[in-house]
Amino acid sequence: MTAPTDDHSLKASPYRAIFLAHSEPMWFYDRTTSAVIDVNDAALAFYAMTRDGFLRTPAGDLLTTHAARRADGRIFYADSHECDLGGGRALVLVALHDVTALRAAESALARAEEEQRRQTAEFEERVRERTVQLQAAISELEAFSYSVSHDLRAPLRSIAGFSQALIEDAGPSLSADARDDIARIIAAAGRMDHLINDLLTLSMVTRAEMRRESVDVSELANRIVAELADLSPTRPVSTTVASGMVAHGDPRLVRVALENLLTNAWKFTSRRERACIEVGQRDDSDSTGTVYFVRDNGVGFDPAFADKLFGPFQRLHDAADFPGTGIGLATVRRIVLRHGGRVWAESRPGQGACFYFTLQ
Amino acid sequence: MYQILLVEDNADDVELTLRAFRKSDLVNTVTVVRDGVEALDYLLATGGHAGRDGEDLPDLVLLDIKLPRVDGLQVLERLRANPRTKLLPIVVLTSSIEPKDLQTCYALGANSYVRKPIDFQQFSKALQQIGSYWLETNQAPPAPA
Repeated sequence: MTAPTDDHSLKASPYRAIFLAHSEPMWFYDRTTSAVIDVNDAALAFYAMTRDGFLRTPAGDLLTTHAARRADGRIFYADSHECDLGGGRALVLVALHDVTALRAAESALARAEEEQRRQTAEFEERVRERTVQLQAAISELEAFSYSVSHDLRAPLRSIAGFSQALIEDAGPSLSADARDDIARIIAAAGRMDHLINDLLTLSMVTRAEMRRESVDVSELANRIVAELADLSPTRPVSTTVASGMVAHGDPRLVRVALENLLTNAWKFTSRRERACIEVGQRDDSDSTGTVYFVRDNGVGFDPAFADKLFGPFQRLHDAADFPGTGIGLATVRRIVLRHGGRVWAESRPGQGACFYFTLQ
Repeated sequence: MYQILLVEDNADDVELTLRAFRKSDLVNTVTVVRDGVEALDYLLATGGHAGRDGEDLPDLVLLDIKLPRVDGLQVLERLRANPRTKLLPIVVLTSSIEPKDLQTCYALGANSYVRKPIDFQQFSKALQQIGSYWLETNQAPPAPA
């Protein structure tokens, strides 16, 4: 059966007491006429209105879409609920429920999202700018290294070439001292040529595109050792290369790194009667993966300088004893870093050195 | 005897190259041109060399890359596009070991790529080897039809 819904029956309902005493402001009105039918004490207090005044106020004035203005002037965000009480009347029950905090949280969230969008856009813009700058720097570096490779070598060839021509043309009439002077000029030009070549390699390993593939480290090491042995056939060097070493890296760059390490080992064992060089690997259980090493029994270095070793132009030995440009280990370090690996060295003076590296 | 065209803008390098060839008894004529435009004019008998007999090609071209006006790479490209010089033996002789230059020269049809050594004895040896190989060992391409 349908409950009677005329105003009197509604006000006589036993539920009215609950309605009147409820702590949330509530009223209900007839949607057709907008006339407020009943209101509870909480609503009267909320608006600071008398019951008669409230009942005379059109429902639409009490509540804009989702907000009500309280007696103290504060905007109060509210939810209203429509409920069909039946009996042919469309009655709307309004229960003010404060969602101000929720609204505030929502708009704070929206602001935060907007801020994040702005920051992301700003960050992307900055990345774009940096990329352009970086590309400019790279092409500048390319132009520079091209110029070094081409223009700086040309005068060097003139210096070395015409010095040699001088010896050939005027040799017999020159004193031994003069010939020695000219030989020094030629040797210096040769050293500068090495320096330029090493710098070019260093710049190449920085710029070169990385192509990772399976690299047979054992074969590579054996080949480099054979090349070194060809260059100084009179030196007895005992070399051991572990078999089956395979790495995942750029073949060209890995070769340059191994070449530098082995050439160093070869050079710094030159004073040893029995030079020994070993290339091997060990698996580190602490997640670093395979560690490759090149060990020699050469002159070694003072471990106090171990961190200086990999900086460009750092030399720990007299150039007269062990000639070099000081760029080789810097090149090794760049190659290893480009592979996401690590390189380090252990040594004691006079007791050989061991260079370790990983490739990921 | 053989003829070589040397395309080189650096006077010192020209002198050193001629000096190296003088020591070998392979070559009797080395013609020198100083930039890319002159090289093309000489080989294609155009411009300042329009009066030259276009059939008279050198046996070998030694080509520098970095040249004034038209660079060696463009010279190479133009010579390979022309039927008369399409097969002409061209050795790139340069200071550069930029991988990009190597790649481009071979892609454009250079027969060989040699980096000029700094040391004069090595430089002489390289030139003698180039001369000996390209003029004596190698079978020259047939004359253009």
